[in-house]
Amino acid sequence: MTSRNNIKIIAGAIVCHEAKLRGDVTIGAGTIMHPCAFVNAEAGPIIIGEKCLVEEQSKITHRVPFDRVEQKNVPVLIIGSNNVFEVGCNVEACRIGDNNIFESKCFVGNKVTVTNGCIIGAGCYITEEQVLPENTIIYGENCLQREALCGPGQQTLQMDTLSKMLPNYHRIRKPNLKS
Amino acid sequence: MAYIIEQEVVKYVCTCGLLKPISKLYFCRYCLEVRCGFCVCHEVDSHFCEKCLENMPSAEARLKKNRCGNCLICPSCLLHLSVRAATVGPKNPEDPKATPRKVVYLHCLMCRWSSRDVGIPDQIAATGGWPERENVYNVRLSEIIEWYKSVVLLEKQQKLEKDKKKQRKYMSFTDKTGLTAEMIRKRIGLTEPPNPLLKTKAKPLEGAIAKEDVEELPDNIFTQPIKLNEITTVQQRLLQPEWQPVTVDKLFPIHKHLSVKQSLRCRSCEHNVSKPEFNPNSVRFKIQLFAYYHIPEIRIVTVEPLRAGQPAELLLKFINPTQHQTVVTILDLSSMPELIQDDKCSADTSTDDELKPIEKEPLSLSLTQSASLLHTTLSRQPSFTIKPRQTKQQVGADIEIPAANFVLPPRDDAAEFDDSGENYNFNDDPRLVKWRKSNKAVIKLQITPSTDLNLGDQVVVGFVMQHIYTNTIATSVEKDKEPQKCQHKIRVFLSLGNLLGSSE
Repeated sequence: MTSRNNIKIIAGAIVCHEAKLRGDVTIGAGTIMHPCAFVNAEAGPIIIGEKCLVEEQSKITHRVPFDRVEQKNVPVLIIGSNNVFEVGCNVEACRIGDNNIFESKCFVGNKVTVTNGCIIGAGCYITEEQVLPENTIIYGENCLQREALCGPGQQTLQMDTLSKMLPNYHRIRKPNLKS
Repeated sequence: MAYIIEQEVVKYVCTCGLLKPISKLYFCRYCLEVRCGFCVCHEVDSHFCEKCLENMPSAEARLKKNRCGNCLICPSCLLHLSVRAATVGPKNPEDPKATPRKVVYLHCLMCRWSSRDVGIPDQIAATGGWPERENVYNVRLSEIIEWYKSVVLLEKQQKLEKDKKKQRKYMSFTDKTGLTAEMIRKRIGLTEPPNPLLKTKAKPLEGAIAKEDVEELPDNIFTQPIKLNEITTVQQRLLQPEWQPVTVDKLFPIHKHLSVKQSLRCRSCEHNVSKPEFNPNSVRFKIQLFAYYHIPEIRIVTVEPLRAGQPAELLLKFINPTQHQTVVTILDLSSMPELIQDDKCSADTSTDDELKPIEKEPLSLSLTQSASLLHTTLSRQPSFTIKPRQTKQQVGADIEIPAANFVLPPRDDAAEFDDSGENYNFNDDPRLVKWRKSNKAVIKLQITPSTDLNLGDQVVVGFVMQHIYTNTIATSVEKDKEPQKCQHKIRVFLSLGNLLGSSE
């Protein structure tokens, strides 16, 4: 769909060269993107906030639902800050807030709006049109839902280690925007 | 191993008549019969907690209501709770010297439930000491238990009185083995000291009283939208029958249920067919007479498209799991009549035992005093036998029974890694045996699905596999004796797939 890639990386972000970025993608400061992470902005721009962690094999896709394809104005997928996309997750949500965790191999459909502090458990599959309330936890093979008192803790330690380790072993894309 | 466990394509008929895949069967070496989980005796060996792997004697387990004292599970998703450490600010923040305190709380890694969610105070030490909740009905429950204990005692006493009137002539089997103080007292005619529990007459219970007027439902129950995140699921409620919390803020950690190690015992000869090691850390067995180690395994290699009335080629792979060479013969199902024994079987087991060695057809004369006979005569009388039942498997195809039999060499673990060309000197019928490697052989069978079948029906073929079983028990007892060989027959049913339409 999009012929030209327009990648904007704000200074402070660590984006590995092998991370596949398609379309109009903006990556905020402090975000770490592992090799083989796949961000596909096929329907419109994706803006990833600060201090997000996108692990290997995770897929973030901006895909407009079929019934909204005809709309004129191109929507922007805005992903907040401090989100964790674990290995092998497949996220197509139309809006993502802050402090969310998408665990391994989960799938979030393009009609789902994720607010803040949500955890989508490993292997959970949500496709129905819905807005996940804050601090929602989805877990188990039956995708049971519960509400936590507070959101998940931040991954500062892991992020610090990665920001030291990754540049030693991988080629890092040069930031092209100043914060 | 998933292919054996999950797909029940090749099924063997157990002695009791049930169809089971080979992974679920046992083979009793003493009666030389196949047994399954249904027709063996299950016994609890030990109780243990599968999280902390702590062993517990059964009396203690009963006292603790079969739960582990240390391990807790998540009330929300039933997974183990783990202890998580956290640091909180010092008790008096004004004091500049105070160091931050270390506390622990419980945390579920699956659903992220934590003990802080329901307001359980954090603990200072990581080992146990979590607040226990008292059941509000404890007093009532213990009253009921007391009452029933006294009722049981009373009934026992009455039965004893009755027994005294009609003196028995013979010693019963239990008298002989369990010569307790009670028995001696009875023998010499002393009266039993009255049970202390009997003296203190339990106060009669007040029965539960049914109430006529029930509290009205609040008005808003019909108008207020239900918040699914706040109410518990049925499973969560039934997990704590004493409290049955309705809302999630009343979920409290639950003590983990204990697991048991169980041993399985053949009902007819009372030998163990499976006995685990006592130590909960160990996953090994002391005795494991699984059929998988004794009976040739059959796997379907390929089958031609199945069309009614048209012959199709079926390739089967036979694998010999034993350390002894065996000869496999394929026989018609009719060669092994259903072992439906009438009522006389359960009534008169001794004749049944004597019949068995004849059924087993010892191969040579020197083995007439076969080990199985020896053992069956020595073994105790079976406590309880299960009557074999009719196998209701419909066979939907004819099978052309090959005239020849074939040899399966013993299993050799090293052969798996030996790529050098192997030459076999078995006089195989080339029309029967298609392929061979170490202890495996692929044979070809002709099958013809019956014309009575409808399109899409499952085609099942059945045959009797007769193989030579080398019994090693006799050799282990008497060194000079040759291993006893006997013909073992087992019925096998194969589900080959669905019937296709005609080829035109």
